Amino acid sequence: MSTQVHANLTEEQVREISGDLDEPDWLLETRLEALAALEDLEMPDVIRTPGRDWTNLHELDFESLVDPLNAAEDKDQVGPEEAEVLSWADAVQEHEDLLQDHFGSIVDPQENYLTALSTALFSTGTVIYVPEGVDAEDVTVRTEQNSRSLFNYTLVVTEESSSVTILERQSTGEEAEEQYYSGIVEVAAGENSYVQYGSLQNLSEEAYNFTLKRGVADTYATIDWIEGNLGTQLTKTEVSTELRGDSSETQIVGAFYGHNDQHFDLDAKVWHRAEHTTADLVTRGVTDDVARSVYEGVQDVGSDAWDTSSYQRENTLMLSDESEADASPKLIINNHDTEASHSATVGQIDQEDLFYMTSRGVDPRAARNMLVEGFFVPVLAEIDVDELREDLENLIGTRLRERE
Amino acid sequence: MARLELSNLHAEVAEGDEQILEGVDLEVQSGEIHALMGPNGSGKSTTAKVIAGHPAYEVTEGEVLLHLEDDEFGEDIEIDEDQRTWNLLDLEPNERAALGIFLGFQYPAEIEGVTMTNFLRTALNAKIEEREELFEDEDDEDEAEEDDEGFENSPMEGPADEGEVGVAEFQGILQEKMEQLEMDEKFAQRYLNAGFSGGEKKQNEVLQAAILEPSVAVLDEIDSGLDIDRLQDVSEGINALRDEQGTGILQITHYQRILDYVEPDHVHVMLDGQIAKSGGPELAEKLEDKGYDWVREDVYGTA
Repeated sequence: MSTQVHANLTEEQVREISGDLDEPDWLLETRLEALAALEDLEMPDVIRTPGRDWTNLHELDFESLVDPLNAAEDKDQVGPEEAEVLSWADAVQEHEDLLQDHFGSIVDPQENYLTALSTALFSTGTVIYVPEGVDAEDVTVRTEQNSRSLFNYTLVVTEESSSVTILERQSTGEEAEEQYYSGIVEVAAGENSYVQYGSLQNLSEEAYNFTLKRGVADTYATIDWIEGNLGTQLTKTEVSTELRGDSSETQIVGAFYGHNDQHFDLDAKVWHRAEHTTADLVTRGVTDDVARSVYEGVQDVGSDAWDTSSYQRENTLMLSDESEADASPKLIINNHDTEASHSATVGQIDQEDLFYMTSRGVDPRAARNMLVEGFFVPVLAEIDVDELREDLENLIGTRLRERE
Repeated sequence: MARLELSNLHAEVAEGDEQILEGVDLEVQSGEIHALMGPNGSGKSTTAKVIAGHPAYEVTEGEVLLHLEDDEFGEDIEIDEDQRTWNLLDLEPNERAALGIFLGFQYPAEIEGVTMTNFLRTALNAKIEEREELFEDEDDEDEAEEDDEGFENSPMEGPADEGEVGVAEFQGILQEKMEQLEMDEKFAQRYLNAGFSGGEKKQNEVLQAAILEPSVAVLDEIDSGLDIDRLQDVSEGINALRDEQGTGILQITHYQRILDYVEPDHVHVMLDGQIAKSGGPELAEKLEDKGYDWVREDVYGTA
């Protein structure tokens, strides 16, 4: 495909970003290579059926969206003393070795056009390092975007037998007609460590969002993702885990609520690449007005993945006749020693349920809201981080009550 | 006192033109127990659903009226003379509930993620609030509007809209009613009917009626699928509705069995969308012996 970006993107800009952050040469090189690769790279995969791409990323006008030298944000990066929670600039100074080991090792900078763009241009980020045996709770990263475009990078490294709970939020401060947020998250979960990564995306409804979060779990490690999507005009995300070590586990819990003309394209993926691994993928979402959701879930069981357990469920509730929801749960099994299930449903509010409630005196609007909130309960119940669960509940409740 | 009056009620399925009710005439008064019997497909359940306002049915002729006396809802609600007769067909299901209509479902909905307690308290408060609106004087209306203009609490500050019956008060009511029905406390925190056994669902329907205190309760096959112990519990609950709250009961059933425990004052037999025969409790016994063909023969002169 032809790319729109490089007409206004130059090596000088990338050198300036890297220079401002005082980055070593190898990082600058990685960025420049990503920039050079843009020309040949494709957009991330989207589901295609004859005559239709389920999400059309090509229509995005990157030339006007991307403004690499004017990134502005308001950021909090807070964590307990035992763990290191560093801004990207600080991490470059203090932990170059860590970056050298892990940066770009989980998400290939040149995996697709948007990862390369993000790698070339990111100007902010967070590095979370949890030393061996340390339990770090309540790491919070809050990003408020105040510029036309913002490219963000996050690295999480947990050493053996450590644990961390991270809560990340994105919102918009100064709104513009069109904004672009791009985030790449890499998680390297060391042996017998536990990472819980919760994310709540509530950007402006004018914004576009591309996010790729991926973790690699070592032996006995667990990576649990929670992914809440409420904001943006268009979101394309992937949340994924490679279960590389024996007995590693992952859970991907997702909740979304699209209204107006929002479009969510959400991927949840797991690669079983070792023995005795377990994965549980659970997503629930609502579409209203003319919103559209596209969900793709992939459970990929490799030939060496003996004794695999892998489960996937996705349910979408459409609140309007004009909203659309598509789901594609995929199961690829190359090892017969696997217990797996996958399912997806798309439906509307059950009229008999509604009548049951209204016949008891509840007005139709309140009854519908109770049914929708009840629909989210199974995913909310999977969220261990109270603050995130409560925020999600409130945002869903508020959005529901805004309805006619 | 309240009186539900169905007259010449005709109804069909909203999507399609299959006529199901062919002129039903029936009256149920507070404190009375009526049994509505009849073979499958005779229109019993449709009658129940039409009374409650199920959107799948369209009334093509006739009326469903609810007559109230001035003290029906106690001292707090004043019922003016021109507000004593309501045409239920003009009202939404929740408005009918506010006026005291209750439908006990043959197949209660299973609702995930909504606890019994939350649902019932919401329903009780909604009913109280809706009732106030329905009987509001025009003078009061202006006052109410003024009230609505400002928030006493900021909406961000939590439960400003807790409703008439607060959480603690409601817990007390619920607990008392559950004890009366010998229901396990744990039901209160379970999701509404989700994973309940058939018997538990029916018991839960009676519990809801006990809490919502209807003027007239239509119970659609509340006895089906109950073992004898549960049948007795449910029957006691129904009798208590009548004896303690003065609720009028329209009990739809196939079987004489429950009528041994909930003794009807009147028995009606429905055939082909009409009440074919009415009588006292002896009619139910006769039916048990002779079957519906006997009624058909008796009424139409043909079996």
